[in-house]
Amino acid sequence: MRRRTFLLAAFLNRYALSLRAQDVILPGKPGSVRFAAIGDMGTGEAAQYQIAQRMLQFHQQFPFTFVIALGDNIYGGKSPAELQKKFEIPYKPLLDEGVQFYAVLGNHDDSNERFYKFFNMNGQQYYSYKKGNVHFFALDSNYLDPKQLAWLEKELANAGTTDWKICYFHHPLYSSGAFHGSSIELRAVLEPLFLKYGVQVVFAGHEHVYERVKPQKGIYYFTEGASGELRAGNLKKTDLTAVGYDKDRSFLSVEISGDDLYFQTVSRTGVTVDSGTIRRPGAVQSDQP
Amino acid sequence: MFLRTGVLFIVLFVGLRIPMAVGRPADPPASESPGFREFMQRAQEYVKLQKAMPRLRTTKKREEIVERRRALAQKIRETRSNAQPGDIFTPAASDEFRRVIRSVFQGPAGRDVRRTIRQGAPVPDRHLIVNSDYPEHLPVTTVPPTLLLRLPQLPPELAYRIIGHDFVLQDIQARVIVDFIPGAIP
Repeated sequence: MRRRTFLLAAFLNRYALSLRAQDVILPGKPGSVRFAAIGDMGTGEAAQYQIAQRMLQFHQQFPFTFVIALGDNIYGGKSPAELQKKFEIPYKPLLDEGVQFYAVLGNHDDSNERFYKFFNMNGQQYYSYKKGNVHFFALDSNYLDPKQLAWLEKELANAGTTDWKICYFHHPLYSSGAFHGSSIELRAVLEPLFLKYGVQVVFAGHEHVYERVKPQKGIYYFTEGASGELRAGNLKKTDLTAVGYDKDRSFLSVEISGDDLYFQTVSRTGVTVDSGTIRRPGAVQSDQP
Repeated sequence: MFLRTGVLFIVLFVGLRIPMAVGRPADPPASESPGFREFMQRAQEYVKLQKAMPRLRTTKKREEIVERRRALAQKIRETRSNAQPGDIFTPAASDEFRRVIRSVFQGPAGRDVRRTIRQGAPVPDRHLIVNSDYPEHLPVTTVPPTLLLRLPQLPPELAYRIIGHDFVLQDIQARVIVDFIPGAIP
């Protein structure tokens, strides 16, 4: 009896610990742009729900206002019931808090997801929007035709030179993932535009791991493809890898204040697996402390 | 003489190499080929027909998206009840598509093009039927951008797809297979 009580107490203690809010190390500066990034999440399985729960806990301490969804938002069946199970139920508490989702299409998505109001795509396969001093460019990397590339070039040119420019799409241009790896051909058409127009940060999914790549030609690349799916042990760290995590699911949270971008990557169990600060390249160093 | 040959070599090398590096086509623009012109004419006719039908619109109701998609697909099937493979990819167009696809796969970017398909979840061969739905559970294989640069640009209602070795024209709203060229992908 005593042994059973002890085991139960140990279990509850462990459960309580696992539910305790993780430490938020983002600065939470007034007026900052705050968002989370998730990818390859739409499985409808327990792990997706646990990440969603972890995001909610994080949100209570760090109220991010939107989420960028990096594709493979809905795996498998696309019926209304499946969509509910794979999106509306797990993220309901965040949606209820007013958090908006800005999605891109992955290779497992139905292109008609662009008509789904909660994904904020307004019927477009690729689109852009601005939050504070940050321009976001959401691309369809399944289909980078000349029309999309011309659109991107025009949008990047119009975004000027003083703000942050962040691109996101499904397939990573640089990746140490063993399953897919870097998308060389997509890189050949996108990277010249990123360099020409000063894109500073790129987010992608597709590889079911987390990886932050060392800056490539001055651009920071993140892969977050483990917010539902996971290929445990699939990250074969290379010279590209700054930090990688392939042991469990994760999500990214980002804060941008002025010329500084702060990021924190949190695992399903609430462990911070990566964090840091990126100074906007070309930004003038302030004399202020 | 030696210097002149060297300069000529560099000019030729740069002239041939740069277009590939930035993914520009080495051939004349796709719109100039008679096969492609015929294809585009047929594709535009299809789009005109599709645009006359009820379209999808942004909504919070997933049921509405599903129902409207089904209704649109059904309407297309009824309107094109006699559609056959080759109606849009006419024989002349198919020859041109096959030629361009082959040249991209055999060209300097061929290795990367194959890699793009491999990385983008290649779909195994299937028995395709014109007017049928693109299967719901099937992922979308990335269409290599180097290839897209060499093909006629489609109106937004249509997209090229790769299913196994077949090259497919898909209505992306109705998710209907509009036409296909069997075995066009090496």
